[in-house]
Amino acid sequence: MTSLLVAEWRRTVIDLVRYPLETVSMTVVMFAVFAGMFFGAHYLTAAPFGGVNLAGVVIGYTVWTLVMSAAGFMGSSIQNEAQNGTLEQVMLAPWLTVQIFLVRSLMDVVEMLIPILAVLAGLVLLSGAQLHWRPLALLPAMMTVVTAWGIGLMMAALALLFKRMSQMQMMLQFALLFVIMVPVAAMQGVVGAVLGLLAPLTVQVSVLHATLSVAVPGISANLWWEAAADMALWFGAGYWLLRAADTLARRRGIVGHY
Amino acid sequence: MLMANGLVKRFRTRTGLTTAVDNITMSVAAGEVLAFLGPNGAGKTTTIKMVAGLIRPDRGQVVVHNMDVTGRPALAAARLGAVLEGSRNLYWRLTCLENLIYWGTLRRLSPSEARSRAVELLRLVDLEQCQHNTVQTLSRGMQQKLALCQALMHQPKLVLLDEPTLGLDLVSAQVIKAMVRRLAGDGVAILLTTHQMDVAQQLADRLAIIRSGKLMLTGKTAEVLARYSRPVWRIAVSHPLPADRLAAVRDLGWSIEQPTPADLLVTPPADDPTVIYRLLDVLRPQPIRLVQRHQADLAEVFRQVMAEGEALL
Ligand SMILES: Nc1ncnc2c1ncn2[C@@H]1O[C@H](COP(=O)(O)OP(=O)(O)OP(=O)(O)O)[C@@H](O)[C@H]1O
Ligand SMILES: [Mg+2]
Repeated sequence: MTSLLVAEWRRTVIDLVRYPLETVSMTVVMFAVFAGMFFGAHYLTAAPFGGVNLAGVVIGYTVWTLVMSAAGFMGSSIQNEAQNGTLEQVMLAPWLTVQIFLVRSLMDVVEMLIPILAVLAGLVLLSGAQLHWRPLALLPAMMTVVTAWGIGLMMAALALLFKRMSQMQMMLQFALLFVIMVPVAAMQGVVGAVLGLLAPLTVQVSVLHATLSVAVPGISANLWWEAAADMALWFGAGYWLLRAADTLARRRGIVGHY
Repeated sequence: MLMANGLVKRFRTRTGLTTAVDNITMSVAAGEVLAFLGPNGAGKTTTIKMVAGLIRPDRGQVVVHNMDVTGRPALAAARLGAVLEGSRNLYWRLTCLENLIYWGTLRRLSPSEARSRAVELLRLVDLEQCQHNTVQTLSRGMQQKLALCQALMHQPKLVLLDEPTLGLDLVSAQVIKAMVRRLAGDGVAILLTTHQMDVAQQLADRLAIIRSGKLMLTGKTAEVLARYSRPVWRIAVSHPLPADRLAAVRDLGWSIEQPTPADLLVTPPADDPTVIYRLLDVLRPQPIRLVQRHQADLAEVFRQVMAEGEALL
């Protein structure tokens, strides 16, 4: 596994350095977004996110960015590789296709985190603002991204079989936004539990939300378990689906088709 | 090194099921070059991809280096290298060296092993001066040479080449051919497809000709060529031969065809390599420009095998 990680990491670094404009523009966008949060934070703390502080907004936004990457990256990557004619050679590597694309998606997340962390560090120094957050929030943040990987693996499975995914990607964004907005935490009883278990991301996001709130969180153990089970379900299903799509694509002889 | 047993592949198309590969069995030994020939759509690429694990056969086994890799693409991939037809095989945004190092580490070399192997391969194919150019700036021939290096990074014992010299100039094609010979000399088994019969004839130890997914002919190149060569001699003379000489030749029991007055195609009564001396004795002292026993080339064999296939249908 390390050689796969090393190979993909080196490729990511080369790409970052070879095409600095992309890296720079991404950093500039991040800077604009976070600067808005830092200097307009008093608007946010007042209303819609009520009770979530600056750190909460920053982490929430970062997680959302990573979720979009995790859910969309593998599908568009497979489509691009098919279009460029490199997908067959990638699938001729001594790894499972799902391993390769998961590692690449991980690298994409790391690639996004680097400018985000740099910009954040810069802004904290610049504004003297204090970010108050509990390290515990990292756990639901990671669970959220891993769940999003489950969706990403499913998108990748579709991409491997159908190749043309641009429209799907657009719809994915809306679907994810919708799913995250479902107020599962507010729903009680069986309906809430079932919905929470089936819908991706909602439980993880509500746990994340709770750990980020200013008030000391009272998160029930059940909600943690639910978040973990939901994550395992979606990631497992995604992993299984991409493996199945891999076999099916080879059976149909459409690995390199575009 | 490679054993393919009874490979069958059918594809679902709009018009129903088409059988792309129909019960193909073949093997390639270490150090051997097998040329896989056939007209467009014969099933060559499909067979190569089945061996590589990119297409899963409906029936049959693929055994690489004593390991059954059928339906286990990651295992197959670790044991072979492939340059695929019409596929780019490389990342355009990376340089030659970066590409080779990437594909090498992806195949489990350490970055430093990959680097030294890459430098060595680039030198072998005359690309060392371009090692820091991105692939998008390379010519077709350079890309193809690089794609070959890419397939060789992990020193596979089996190499699959789908139309490796397609669209290459003489010099680039020569480099690829030299690499193929070198690999075979190092004990690598090579399966290649081509539509260029001269390339196949120069490189292949053995031939497999397929048509509509069916194996039509296999055999050692030299034996196949000999089998399709006819016991006919071509004699070219400077001036048309006098009629009495021709009659004397016929008296020896030879049959004569005369495509042009200065060109004779003569068939001896018995196929004996020394039979030509008797003919030459009869022709003495007529001036002769050329004496040649008919030698089939692969293009001729191929045409004939295709025609025989036609007749069978
Ligand atoms: N994925 C696929 N789906 C449907 N039919 C396919 C598929 N791949 C190949 N075929 C069909 O299988 C047959 C064999 O194709 P293949 O590409 O193996 O031929 P080939 O010998 O490589 O030809 P060429 O010399 O043109 O490269 C063709 O009739 C082709 O249309
Ligand atoms: Mg082909």
